[in-house]
Amino acid sequence: MPGDLDTPEASDEDLERVMRDVPRGAFALAALAVGALLAAWLLIYFLVFLPRGMVG
Amino acid sequence: MPISEETIVRSELRWAAISVGVVSVIMIALIYAGLVHHINPPSNIERIDPNTLHLGGEFTEANLGTRVSGDGQITSRIVATQFTFQPRCIVLPANRRVTLRFATPDVIHGILVTGTNVNTMIVPGYVSQVHTVFTRTGDLLMPCHEYCGLGHSEMSATVRVVPPDEFKPDAEGRVACDAR
Repeated sequence: MPGDLDTPEASDEDLERVMRDVPRGAFALAALAVGALLAAWLLIYFLVFLPRGMVG
Repeated sequence: MPISEETIVRSELRWAAISVGVVSVIMIALIYAGLVHHINPPSNIERIDPNTLHLGGEFTEANLGTRVSGDGQITSRIVATQFTFQPRCIVLPANRRVTLRFATPDVIHGILVTGTNVNTMIVPGYVSQVHTVFTRTGDLLMPCHEYCGLGHSEMSATVRVVPPDEFKPDAEGRVACDAR
């Protein structure tokens, strides 16, 4: 049980400090994921889709 | 200090702007491909009776395969059926505009030609039509890409793209794989 362990409880300051950094990390991860996805789409668009030529 | 509501709203607006930006980039790319490179989804709407496909009209057996009409237009007609294409091999010239026309008497099929943008569904009751220009010569695989039954994995055809000077229609304007 967590209550049985002899560990100091996190103070409110600790919690706020951690929470302050969470959005930055989440934004960095989301930006990386979206950027990688868009870059992959553009690579396939320019290197595969356009060179294959007209269709309609 | 907890993160303020203003900061949250600002970050959400920023992400909304990024989302709109990503969608805009993709839309502009698709419009550019359509207008400049003439790469469009096949959008032919043409009805045909699947029950009488083989009895009359353009998809009778004698009409299938590649044919060059009097005005020089090159058209290949193919019937997709469980579990084969008729004919299983068509000949087309490279670097010339060609038209592929498909119909099916049974269930939904789909085709793609490997290494090209040719890709369409073949739906009973409709004629699927694709215009394209093949730039690479060689035997290109054209498999059925819509599950159509137990023999689906065996259903494929060959698109033989030949240099324009080797594309020689006979007196009736036909070009076939074995006759070439």
